[in-house]
Amino acid sequence: MSNVSTTRFSLVLALCLCTGAALAAAPLDEALKALPSVPLQDPAKVELGRRLFNEPRLSANNSLSCASCHHLETGGADNKPFSLGLDGKPVPLNTPTVFNASLNFKQFWDGRVDTLQAQIEHALIGPVEMASDWKAVEYNLSAHPDYQRAFAQVYADGVSAANVQDALASYERTLLTPNSRFDQYLLGNTEILTIKEKYGYQRFKEYGCIACHQGVNIGGNMLQKFGVMGDYFKARGNPVESDLGRYLLTGDEEDRHVFKVPSLRNVAVTAPYFHDASAKTLEDAVDVMFKYQLGRTPSQEDKELIIQFLRTLTGEWAGKPL
Amino acid sequence: MRRFSRRRASQMLLGLIALLLASTLVFLYLKSSRDQTATYTQSRDLIRQLQQLNAQWDSEVLKARIAITHNYDPLVTPLSDMTRIWSELQDRDTYHNPADLPGWQASQAAYVAAIQEKARLVDQFKSHNAVLRNSLAFLPTAEDDIQAQFNQIDDQGRLQLQGVATDTYDLLLSSLEFAQVTSDERAADILVGLGKLAINKESLPSEFQAPVDILSNHISLILREQPLVNSLLERIAAVPVAERLDDLTTHLNQDQQNADLVDHQYHRYLLIFSTLLVVLLLYLAVRLLRSFAEINRVNRALQSANETLEQRVERRTQQLKDAQSELLDSARQAGMAEIATNVLHNVGNVLNSVNISAELVSRKLRGSKALGLGKAMQLINAHQGDLGTFLTDDEKGKLLPGYLNQLVEAIAVEQQGMSDELAQLSKSIDHIKDIVSTQQSYAGAATLLEPINIGALMDDALRMNAGALSRHHVTVVKEYAQVPQILGDKHRLLLIMVNLISNAKYAMSNLSERPRQITLKVEAQGEDTLKISVKDDGEGIPPENMTRIFTHGFTTRKEGHGFGLHSCALAAVQMHGQLSAHSDGPGLGAVFTLTIPLTLAGSSS
Repeated sequence: MSNVSTTRFSLVLALCLCTGAALAAAPLDEALKALPSVPLQDPAKVELGRRLFNEPRLSANNSLSCASCHHLETGGADNKPFSLGLDGKPVPLNTPTVFNASLNFKQFWDGRVDTLQAQIEHALIGPVEMASDWKAVEYNLSAHPDYQRAFAQVYADGVSAANVQDALASYERTLLTPNSRFDQYLLGNTEILTIKEKYGYQRFKEYGCIACHQGVNIGGNMLQKFGVMGDYFKARGNPVESDLGRYLLTGDEEDRHVFKVPSLRNVAVTAPYFHDASAKTLEDAVDVMFKYQLGRTPSQEDKELIIQFLRTLTGEWAGKPL
Repeated sequence: MRRFSRRRASQMLLGLIALLLASTLVFLYLKSSRDQTATYTQSRDLIRQLQQLNAQWDSEVLKARIAITHNYDPLVTPLSDMTRIWSELQDRDTYHNPADLPGWQASQAAYVAAIQEKARLVDQFKSHNAVLRNSLAFLPTAEDDIQAQFNQIDDQGRLQLQGVATDTYDLLLSSLEFAQVTSDERAADILVGLGKLAINKESLPSEFQAPVDILSNHISLILREQPLVNSLLERIAAVPVAERLDDLTTHLNQDQQNADLVDHQYHRYLLIFSTLLVVLLLYLAVRLLRSFAEINRVNRALQSANETLEQRVERRTQQLKDAQSELLDSARQAGMAEIATNVLHNVGNVLNSVNISAELVSRKLRGSKALGLGKAMQLINAHQGDLGTFLTDDEKGKLLPGYLNQLVEAIAVEQQGMSDELAQLSKSIDHIKDIVSTQQSYAGAATLLEPINIGALMDDALRMNAGALSRHHVTVVKEYAQVPQILGDKHRLLLIMVNLISNAKYAMSNLSERPRQITLKVEAQGEDTLKISVKDDGEGIPPENMTRIFTHGFTTRKEGHGFGLHSCALAAVQMHGQLSAHSDGPGLGAVFTLTIPLTLAGSSS
C-alpha cells in the first residue's frame, strides 16, 4: 500500500517537475551545447587522482606536480605566458586550462593525443615538463605506504603506470566548470543573460566565431589553421618552431600553423591567450581572431558585445565562480 | 600369483583407457562447447554498430557540408564511439582459424588505416569547411557593404561606377554558383572577376578599399577552399571504411563457417568417443555384475566352509572334552591306583606280621605239651583196676602225679603265649581292615560334599603313605591350626594330599646329608579360604620347570607318568580351589599350596 502510494507520489512529482521544467526552461537548440554533468565514477579513484594531481613525486626531481601549472583556483592554468618546466626554463607553449579538458576531442595545442591518459603520459615524461619516467614514478609512489594502500583499494594490481594514468584521468573528468550563466541560458533560463550579452551571442554567431567555437566545449572539437585570412606569424614576427603547430607532428604541409581550436569556456579568466600567449587581453585575442581568422572588421560596439558574451562563459569550480 | 598380477595389469589398462577416453571427451567438450555462435554474433553486432556509426559520421559530414548545423561535435563523437567499439572488438578473442589469422589481422590493419585516414580527412574537412562556410555566409554581407558604399555616392558617381558594381555583383553570383557547381571554368571566371575587381579597386574611392579587400579576400578563400572541401569530401567518401568493415564481416563469416565445420567435426568425435565410453562402461558393468556373482559364489562357499569348520570345531571340541574326561578318569584311576598301591603296600606290611603270628601259633601248636597228657592218660587207662596200686607202688605210677602237675603248668604257659600271639594277629587284621576300610571310604566316591575334619584327613593321607615314609626315614612335622570342620570333597582332597606327600617324599629321596622332613601346614586364610601346604627340603624346582609342572605328562621321575600334579591341579580346580607351587630354586626345597574355599560344614545342609 505504502509502496503504491510512494510510486504514485513520485509519478505525480515527476510529472509536475516535467511540466514545470517544460514551462520554465526548455533547453535551447543551439550549436553551442550546455556543459554535461560530471560522469559517475568511483569516488576513491577520483580521490586518488586528486592526490596524484597534487603530487610532486610525479616529476623527475619531486618539484612539480600537475597542480604546479594547472591552478584550479585561477582558471585551471597559470597566469604566466609560459609555465616553467622542470629545468626552470619556460615551456614553448602556453599552458591550456585543465578545466573541461576531458571534453576536448584531442589534447595539447597540436592535438597530438586523443585521450587524457596519453596526455598525462606526455606531460609526465615530456623533458620540458615533468621529465620523469614511469619506473621512477612507480618506485616513488610504491615507497609511500599511503599510496600503496590507496592504489590497492582501487586497483587489483596496485601501483602501475596505467593505474596512475587512469586515476588522474578520472580526476580530470571531474574538473568541469558548470553553472556558467551561458549554460544556464542554454538550459532554458533565458532571463539570466542581459540584453547586451544576448546581442553579443548573436554577433558571435553572425561574425562566424561559431564556425570553430561551437559544440559542448565551445571549441575543442576541431583543428584550424592559425591565420586563415592572413599571415598572423609574419605580422607578429619572431617566428619560432612551436608556431608550426601540428606540422611538427605530421610533417604535412596541410598542417602548417594548424592548432586545436581551444575551448572558450572560462576564457575570461585564462589570459594570456593563444599558443604563444601573444594576446594579453580578451580584446587583443578577439582582434586577432577577427583579423586573421574571420577576415572581418567588426564595429567597436560589436566587439564589445562579443566580449561581454564571452564573459558569460565563466563557470564555477567547487561551488565558487572562477 | 600370476593370475593376480594379470588381473592388476588388466585393471590398470582399463583405468588408463577410461582416463584417456574421459580426458579426450573433456578436451572435445571444451573444444566444441565454446559458444562460438554467440561470439560471432556479438562481434558482427559490434561491426554493424561500427558501420552504423560510420554511416552516421558520413551523414554528419554531409550535414556540415551543407551548413545545416554549426556544431561539429557530431563529427567527433562517431569516431570516439568507433574507437571504443573497436577496442571492445579487439578485446574479444573472436578469431579461430589460425591459418587465416594473418588475413584477419591484415583486414583489421586495413580498417585501422582506413579509419585513421578518414579521421584525418574529416579533421581537415572540418577546418576547411568551417572557414568556407563562414566566407560563403559572409559573402552577401560583404557585397552589401560595398553596395552600401555605392549607395552613399551621389548619382553622378554611381553612374560612373555602375560597371564596377555590376562586376562585383557578378563576381558574388559566380562565387556563390561556384560553391554549388565547382568547375575549372568558373574558377577561371572568378579569377578574371577578382582581377577585374583589383583593377576596379584602383579607380574606387578610398572608403571602398577595405570592403573590396575583404570581399576579394573571402572570394579568394572560397576559390581556394571550395575545391579543397569538395575534394576532401570525395576523398572521405572514397575512404573504404565500410568496405573494410564488410571485409571483416566476411572474414568473420568465413571463420565462423570454418569454426562450425571444426565444431561439427568435434561433435562427431565427441559422439564417437561418447559411444566408446558407453561401450566401455557397459563392459565394466558386465564385469562388475560378473564379479558380483563371483563374490556371491565365493561368499556362499566361504559360508559353507565356515559351517563345516564350525562343525569340525564342535566335533573336535567334543573330542577334546571326551579326551579330557577320559584323561580325568585315567588320572583319577591313576590316583586310585596309587592309593591302592599304597594301601596294598601297607596291607602287605601288616600281612607280614599276620603271617609271622600265624607261623608262631602253628609252631607252638605243633610242639604243644598237650601231647604228654595223652601219654599219661594211656598209663592210667592200662592200670584201670589197680589204679591205686599203680599210683602208690609202681615206679612209673609214683612219678605220674608230679608229671601231670608239670604238664598243667607247661600247658598254662603255652596257652598264654598262643593267646598273646592271636591277640597280635587279630590286631594286625584290624589294621588291615582299617586300611581297607579307609581306602573303601575314598575310592569310588564322586564329588560328594561331606563334612571333613582336615586334621583327620591329613592323618589318613599320611597313614596311606606311612610305610613309604617310615621306609625312607621321613620325619613329618604337623602344623595344624585350629580349623573347623569344612564341607568338601573328601576323595579329591585325599587324592591331592596323598600325591603331594608322595611327591615330597620322592623329592627328598636323594637327600642324604640332612634329615628328611615334610612339614604339613593347615591354616585358614581370611574367613573364606583354607590353605593347606606341603613343604619339603628336597631337590626343589628349577624356575624353567615352574610353569610346566602342572601340565599333563610332565615329570622329572624316570618311572613317573606326569599325571599326578596335573590331576591334582584339575581336582583343585574342580573344587573351586587352586594348587600352586613355590620353590626358591634347585636344592632349596619346594612348597605346594592348595587353597580351597572354606565352606563351614554347618553352613549348608
